Amino acid sequence: MFSLPLEQRLEVLADSAKYDVSCSSSGSSRAGKAGALGSTAASGICHSWSADGRCISLLKILLTNACIYDCAYCLNRRSNDIPRAAFTPDEVVALTMNFYRRNYIEGLFLSTGVLRSADYTMEQLIAVARRLREVERFNGYIHLKLVPGADPLLVARAGRYADRLSINIELPSSRSLALLAPDKPRESVIAPMRQVSGLIVESRADRKESRKAPRFAPAGQSTQLIVGATPESDREIITLSEGLYRSLELKRVYYSAFIPVSSDNRLPALPTPPLLREHRLYQADWLLRFYGFAAHELLDEAHPNLDMRFDPKSDWALRNLQLFPVEVNRADYEVLLRVPGVGVRSARRIVQARRGTRLGEVELRKLGVVLKRARYFLTAGGRYLGGIRLDGPQLIERLLAPARRPARLDQLELFAALPDLSAVSGEL
Amino acid sequence: MARYAYEGDFEGFLCALVASLENGDGQPEFVRDSDAAEAGLFSGELCQVPAVREVTLAFRSRFVAAVSREAFATARYAFHSGKKGIEQLLWRYLLLGLEQGRLLEGMLTVEPVWSINRIARHVSHEAHKFKGFVRFREVTEGFLYASIEPEADVLPLIAPHFVGRVGDRPWMIHDLRRRQAAVFDLRSWRLVSGIELTAEPGCSDAERDYAALWQRYFRHHAITERHNPKLQQKHVPLRYRKHLVEFTGP
Ligand code: SF4
Repeated sequence: MFSLPLEQRLEVLADSAKYDVSCSSSGSSRAGKAGALGSTAASGICHSWSADGRCISLLKILLTNACIYDCAYCLNRRSNDIPRAAFTPDEVVALTMNFYRRNYIEGLFLSTGVLRSADYTMEQLIAVARRLREVERFNGYIHLKLVPGADPLLVARAGRYADRLSINIELPSSRSLALLAPDKPRESVIAPMRQVSGLIVESRADRKESRKAPRFAPAGQSTQLIVGATPESDREIITLSEGLYRSLELKRVYYSAFIPVSSDNRLPALPTPPLLREHRLYQADWLLRFYGFAAHELLDEAHPNLDMRFDPKSDWALRNLQLFPVEVNRADYEVLLRVPGVGVRSARRIVQARRGTRLGEVELRKLGVVLKRARYFLTAGGRYLGGIRLDGPQLIERLLAPARRPARLDQLELFAALPDLSAVSGEL
Repeated sequence: MARYAYEGDFEGFLCALVASLENGDGQPEFVRDSDAAEAGLFSGELCQVPAVREVTLAFRSRFVAAVSREAFATARYAFHSGKKGIEQLLWRYLLLGLEQGRLLEGMLTVEPVWSINRIARHVSHEAHKFKGFVRFREVTEGFLYASIEPEADVLPLIAPHFVGRVGDRPWMIHDLRRRQAAVFDLRSWRLVSGIELTAEPGCSDAERDYAALWQRYFRHHAITERHNPKLQQKHVPLRYRKHLVEFTGP
């Protein structure tokens, strides 16, 4: 596995890691140390964008792509016939330090296939992180993957070195997990998440008492769900995410449109990855985290799946027309956030500006509020901005009119491609 | 109408502004001293104002107390746009702030607040991008060099970020457009103007290897099924690519 030259192993191990969509380097804010390398920025920083438009923030590689398991959706599964490679811990350390010093990256995202056992594998990952922190005094961002089934003591150790920890649920329901990842019982994924969540809360409390208390994964934990490999509805997915945010305090749930990474007959044959659906899920996720929506408001038994024609907020508003229009000079901030087309930034500006001035259409435009959709849901100084009053079906027609052309993916802002700069970067 | 010549940076400009306030000038004009020489203005027509740290700090405290820290930062970022006429606009903005106090922050749709905010946002956006877009290369053993050509004068805004980040090597970030560089000597950094390259900087052996590894990593990061060069171009406009090693490779 070490027989290939370093540059080829880098290619193989980058290829094997790239389907993990998490790229964020945010959530940790640590000043640099004199004479040392590294700091972290709360907002995260993108260093480049690859040809698929995804941001490159972290050096995302596997320690090895060899694996004793056989998860159907995974490129690295045992039964897949691909070249196998591995890095030595020293090689990963040297790559990280040298890429970081040249300002190519914000840090390291290290994951791996499973060798021998979960514990052995987890120890390998920790060894790299420890060397970076203790020998090289590296102070940049480290994201470590947790190996399902690893000993809780190792999980606790990983969080001492890492800014962020993650373990991927991958398949939204246990039934799917059992079918496609027979080696990974659900509990082996959820238990460490619960443990990490507890340790994060604990260390946060300790650090309030004393700044010297050790940090534990200050940038929190994240996970990834694969979309389209199994038959779960969007409602099941978004409800699961809501639970993860609320009870386990996850920082991010990532959604990854399933890309058939070579045929395995346990999986559907998809002509193209469901990128639009992935995009809608990110929008719904944004509504949960920053717009005060609950999963059951967006999706219910009658509407188990997100509408592919509109963003989920417009879809919700069309089903709740009785709540609109709202008056832009009076409506509460939380209400403004629910107006289609009004994002966090616009809502904030409206609230700030209306203290001094009465807002009309001209002022709204000056504030940078995009009225294309919002106008049908707003009045300004009592005047309805949408022209003639429209009923539901007519409104749908209007909202769709400019997008007669089929939704084009190259125009979509794929949120997965961005670091979570802040709440405001995902305007809806 | 009086003309004030200030020493190059934001501090210098604030000193000139304070001088104009003290003189009670209703319609001052501000020129950078370097531009004044070029425009053939004689010292007789100009009021030369030296940059004095204490004067700047005193004005800063006064403005922050009257309005807010954020509004002051907004003015500073807007200044670094280097746009023509930005001084006049800032003069109006800062005066309005002293007059209106905290109300200034709500005057988002009113000039000059609207323009200043827009310009400052632009600069802050570019400064954030350049925290990612600076590419150091090792030109000789241990010394790092980076060249940039940002639209706005973001170098003084981002240099402290790199001081906190790459603290274990001496380095230089060189703004080719403005012929100035931020230079870090392992202890502190300073801004040096009038820097020009006499020859293309060298390249250590390790440098070639790591640049090549990074180029490979960059190519392999892209997922073919998601190919989307338009989105890529939106984030990395062509004008920035010249200085990004991953875009200059084979
Ligand atoms: S355990 Fe991880 S690396 Fe191994 S096959 Fe499953 S998903 Fe892939």
